[in-house]
Amino acid sequence: MSVRHAILGLLAQKPRHGYELRSAFEALIGGEQNWEVKPAQIYTTLSRLEESGLVAEAAIEQDGGPEKHIFDITPAGREELGDWFEGAVEEVHQRDEFYLKLMLSINDEFADPYAVIHVQRSSLFRDLHGLTTQRQALNGMENLAQILLLDKAVMHLEADLRWLDMVEGRLDEIRSHPPPEPETRPRGRPKKS
Amino acid sequence: MSIVETKELTKVYGSGDTALTALNHVSIHIQAGEFVAIMGPSGCGKSTLLHLVGGLDRATSGGVMIEGHNLSDLNDTRLAELRRRKIGFVFQFFNLIPVLNALENAALPLLLDGVPLKAAQKKAAEWLDRVGLSDRHTHRPSQLSGGQQQRVAIARALVSEPAIILADEPTGNLDTHAADEIVGLLRQVSSQWGRAVVMVTHDPRIAAYADRIIFLKDGVMVNETRLEAGALPAQ
Ligand SMILES: Nc1ncnc2c1ncn2[C@@H]1O[C@H](COP(=O)(O)OP(=O)(O)OP(=O)(O)O)[C@@H](O)[C@H]1O
Ligand SMILES: [Mg+2]
Repeated sequence: MSVRHAILGLLAQKPRHGYELRSAFEALIGGEQNWEVKPAQIYTTLSRLEESGLVAEAAIEQDGGPEKHIFDITPAGREELGDWFEGAVEEVHQRDEFYLKLMLSINDEFADPYAVIHVQRSSLFRDLHGLTTQRQALNGMENLAQILLLDKAVMHLEADLRWLDMVEGRLDEIRSHPPPEPETRPRGRPKKS
Repeated sequence: MSIVETKELTKVYGSGDTALTALNHVSIHIQAGEFVAIMGPSGCGKSTLLHLVGGLDRATSGGVMIEGHNLSDLNDTRLAELRRRKIGFVFQFFNLIPVLNALENAALPLLLDGVPLKAAQKKAAEWLDRVGLSDRHTHRPSQLSGGQQQRVAIARALVSEPAIILADEPTGNLDTHAADEIVGLLRQVSSQWGRAVVMVTHDPRIAAYADRIIFLKDGVMVNETRLEAGALPAQ
């Protein structure tokens, strides 16, 4: 996840200090419940960006309280940000624990793949219900950031639920003909014959 | 007491070699004001269940109780009367009458029930306003968007103040945005206006608005999932 590029993008808007960056990030993603970033992570990322010459300290402010270091984006930072805007974001292919559970349950006499699917489906539906309720309470003009993020989460859950239906349908088809076990090659030296 | 209850509800179409069991011993309870979605693969018996609960068709065995009345005890006339007063229907293709405007369409169930024209239209106008169509009373179906036509159909379903709304794929003919608005309205029908809503849908996103989802497969109720923690227990 690119906190790095978020910081560059926010500094490209205007110079800011660390604390301000964190609240701007939070506003951007529609609240910390959506994407929690610890203050320490902001500061570490900021100092790494500074070491790489992508941001630089622009000023030090002191109005009564402690010193505030104001950071600005450098030309190198703008270049990096430009590359980010131009490129596509690579989706992270998750290691899917549910998939593992399902496949193992199919060949385990003590497990019921239909029950595995049902539990997962119920859980996804409850998540979807929660998001839908949140989504309905929001106003399109004032809460655009949250709405866009919720919409995305909703669409993903919808896809996961449709996939579960597909899995169940396929399972119905192969119910009487369990798939052959994948062939596993014996390890070590081949036996002498 | 459940407002809708089915006991071992079974429907067999045809007989002999061609007999097809569309519903197989389905027992469900629905509470007043509850919003329930029915899901399941095509042909699993969702519409059949809705038709039997709505008294549009009769069970082969088992029964449907509406507010404690067993539908199989009612003759056709009494059944039609119960249907008019206790149940509102919403369909996928809206089923509005093309030559009537929104107000006339929404008032129709009351006129059929013998309510005088003025009173019927006043009631219809109130419901059209409540579903967000205050400026569309004199539009005909052809002059309304799909979402607006479905709103008219929902006003028509609510006009006789039924306790139960049955909706078969109410968003099936609408785009994503209109579908969200219509299911949001159905949720309001349940949560704000206290009607039990039973909605058949294929769409997980739409089903997720409900308090509870009932899953059918091959005519059998295979599972149910409660989505709203605060909702009433199933019994
Ligand atoms: N009037 C009828 N005569 C004979 N068979 C019928 C009749 N109505 C429905 N069926 C059969 O009963 C089964 C259940 O049909 P039903 O319409 O309830 O399914 P459904 O779950 O609503 O499907 P879909 O999602 O496609 O609308 C199907 O196999 C259907 O062909
Ligand atoms: Mg159907």
